[in-house]
Amino acid sequence: MFSVILYGRNDSHGYNLHKRAAISFNALAEVMSDPDDEILFVDYNTPDDHPTFPEAIHDTLTDKAKKVMRILRVRPDQHAHLRPKTHLVALEAQSRNVALRRSNPRNRWVLYTNTDMLLVPRNTEESLSNILGGLVDGFYQVPRFEIPEMLWEAAFDRRDPAGNLAKLRDWAVRFHLNQVVHNYMPMKYDALGDFQAALREDMFAIHGFDEDMILGWHCDSNLAARLALYRGRVDTLIDKVFGYHCDHTRVAAANNKGRATRMNDQDRFIWNVASPYVPAQAETWGWPDVEIEELHLDRDTAYQRFTAGLEKAIKPATAPFTGTSLEWQLFEDLTYDLPHTLPFVCDQVVTFPRSTAVMMVAARVDFVTGFAEAWKGMGFTGPLLIPEECEGLPSDLEGIERAPFAEQLPKADMFIFEFGLPTQTPSEPVRAGRAMAPLDKKRLKVIERLFKRAAASEAETRPTARRVPRRFIGVNVIYNKFWTTFTDHVGANINPFCSQVLAGLPREDESLKGKVLRFRGRHAL
Amino acid sequence: MSNVDILQAAITPLARLWRRSTSAVVGLKPGSAEQHFRDGMLRMRSGDIDGALAEFDKALSLAPGFADAVLARAELLDGQGRCDAARGEYDRARRLWSEMPAGAPDRRYLFRRRGHFAFEIEAYELVRSNVRNKILPQLAHGNALLVRGRADEALDSYERALRIKPNLPELLALKGEALSALGRHEEAIQAFDTVLAAFPADAETLNGRGVARMALGKLAEANDDWRRQLDLLPQAQSSARACVAMRQGNSEAAFHSFGLSLAKEPANPYWLLYRLTAGRLTGAPPDPIAVPSGGQWPAPLLAFHAGQAAAADALAQADTPCRSAEALFQVGVVALAGNPAAARRHWGEVVERGAPALIEYAAARNELARLGS
Repeated sequence: MFSVILYGRNDSHGYNLHKRAAISFNALAEVMSDPDDEILFVDYNTPDDHPTFPEAIHDTLTDKAKKVMRILRVRPDQHAHLRPKTHLVALEAQSRNVALRRSNPRNRWVLYTNTDMLLVPRNTEESLSNILGGLVDGFYQVPRFEIPEMLWEAAFDRRDPAGNLAKLRDWAVRFHLNQVVHNYMPMKYDALGDFQAALREDMFAIHGFDEDMILGWHCDSNLAARLALYRGRVDTLIDKVFGYHCDHTRVAAANNKGRATRMNDQDRFIWNVASPYVPAQAETWGWPDVEIEELHLDRDTAYQRFTAGLEKAIKPATAPFTGTSLEWQLFEDLTYDLPHTLPFVCDQVVTFPRSTAVMMVAARVDFVTGFAEAWKGMGFTGPLLIPEECEGLPSDLEGIERAPFAEQLPKADMFIFEFGLPTQTPSEPVRAGRAMAPLDKKRLKVIERLFKRAAASEAETRPTARRVPRRFIGVNVIYNKFWTTFTDHVGANINPFCSQVLAGLPREDESLKGKVLRFRGRHAL
Repeated sequence: MSNVDILQAAITPLARLWRRSTSAVVGLKPGSAEQHFRDGMLRMRSGDIDGALAEFDKALSLAPGFADAVLARAELLDGQGRCDAARGEYDRARRLWSEMPAGAPDRRYLFRRRGHFAFEIEAYELVRSNVRNKILPQLAHGNALLVRGRADEALDSYERALRIKPNLPELLALKGEALSALGRHEEAIQAFDTVLAAFPADAETLNGRGVARMALGKLAEANDDWRRQLDLLPQAQSSARACVAMRQGNSEAAFHSFGLSLAKEPANPYWLLYRLTAGRLTGAPPDPIAVPSGGQWPAPLLAFHAGQAAAADALAQADTPCRSAEALFQVGVVALAGNPAAARRHWGEVVERGAPALIEYAAARNELARLGS
């Protein structure tokens, strides 16, 4: 019957976002009763190494919310062409259009709202699906009522949407919450973007939201203006549904700077709107030709993929614990525990697109075979690129491509550099003062040289269609001789030694030191 | 000057301003349902709830199907806590709107919608007197007026908008529609020409210019506009395509497209009627005819096609000028096979009395041309 369209990203937009959003997702799912109903959440521009926002809070969502939710992930690289034009990190018009294009075509209605809204049918027996199913064609809005922050934060249970809706019905009366704020036509109400129900076919006819609106604010008013022209009227659903907003102004959100807030031009996008249509984007709105990843919370989750991958690569531990040490005298010892380290490496990659091509420059054969197994098990389809310069590594594993480093450099979406000892055996103790063998030194020298070249020339060797820097993952680069090597070139956080892994983007250091490092890296000096 | 004179001198310009600002909405007959509705809205805004309810009641006693008044009254009752009394009224308003005739789907967006638009006329009047020098309030006001048949006031609104943004194609297109509705077809065509020079693929303006050209008897040029519109319309918009084809007198294309429309919207009686019409004109075997119960327009025309009613019955039940034109056209269609002269006569009446924006008007002109009239 209807597709709810929401957007956001895995950040901290306003006060206690996680609670607000969980309350809202669960409440929206609660008022759905048609098998075609769906919540489309566009996760816009979350960093590639983070999970999407709903994945990050999945444990607070009800089974029903997880079942009806489709997450459409817009990657930073897909946003990169718009980055110079806006100060915002998440774009409403683009997000909502991406969802509309991909919404269930069997649904007659599209409902635009936000991740802090609860919709309360006035008749407790009715679902929103029933309500919309019984409506004649039109463009419907409801007024937004505010819930004081104290109430939703203190009294709502995220995983009890029915109880929350019941509380709202009670509070509305006890605390006089229901105040309709009228507004000029075509807006009709204040804060109109929290409930705008339109026919899906109308939204297609008017070419979706206006994607020139990239400075934030007024997307809802622009939509109201254009749909009011197109439909002739703006109808109310106040007789059927009340909409409540979890107020969150204790802390200003990123797009709220008081009177200094930058926003879309009201005159251009509201008061001087002259047509329902946006013909300039008729063929392009919602990025119809862009492949957008779709994720679910009730199946094929990142956790399921992660465990499936690791189960193929490592066996369960047989001892209650193992040991290592970060004592300084062991600085030169490059042994590490692979079964312990591999989960942390997989953790770095599992949120990336499945088609990612990874360049793997490694020393240990068991690292390569283990990671290749896990990679396949996690459902990745992209190749593992291993430069021919790395000797002694397997060539016959599924998904592995061998070619000269220079040839593979422009094909890689991500890099893994592993600084282990090729001569380490599975049974030998870890960090017990082991010295490097000549073979270890020889292979590590090659890895170090390739690492510096890759990091120093990352920008100029990037795949042509790619617009954002590629991520470097360093394995076994904490508190050992390769720690400074790695962090001289890559802007990695300080990680616990126990994880063995650092990751980040190539440094953009314009100091003399940075320039020298890049020069030496490029020329392998 | 006495104190009274001073006071009067101060008040007079303000009073003039007030009269000017209200003059645009005094196309309403005193004591009419619309006037009571407007008075109700003014009282509602001033907080006089009982007075507003009384005005809405008066409006509804004069026009029981006046959905805008039904809804306004329902919202007032609801806000007063009389929820039970209000509940059914919201739905009644929606049902009343949905039962109003919709415009042809090949026409500009504003003509396709159902409604009285009394609320919109009133609401945008308020907006344009407060949000000055902006396009949208004037344009939306004009659209609501134009759909209600108040083309002269609509033209005034569009011209006010054009003073803010002269030559804006979207506004010129609307001005063209208002001029066309006023019978000023030459001026309308000029406006549409300017729009199409800027946007040659503007399908809605091609439709509007076709209507104006047809009204002036420029059949070939009108048909050329509609042919271009048909080329631009996506296959998925079968009903719009069907209507354009019917205007052109392209009965084969219309027959096919109305078949698709009927499959999508089987409850729309016009698609069945027009498919029957196109079928008869092309000589296709007749479709089964299920005449809708209740007799609501255009059921009498379907009954006539089904042989369940005489031509005179169909004509007698046409209670508006538009319906008369529709009925005359259908009588001509059914007469054509056996009595081309009668068909010619009926279609001649359509051209003489019908509104040029009607599909039947264009179709009749094209059929007459085919008959050599």
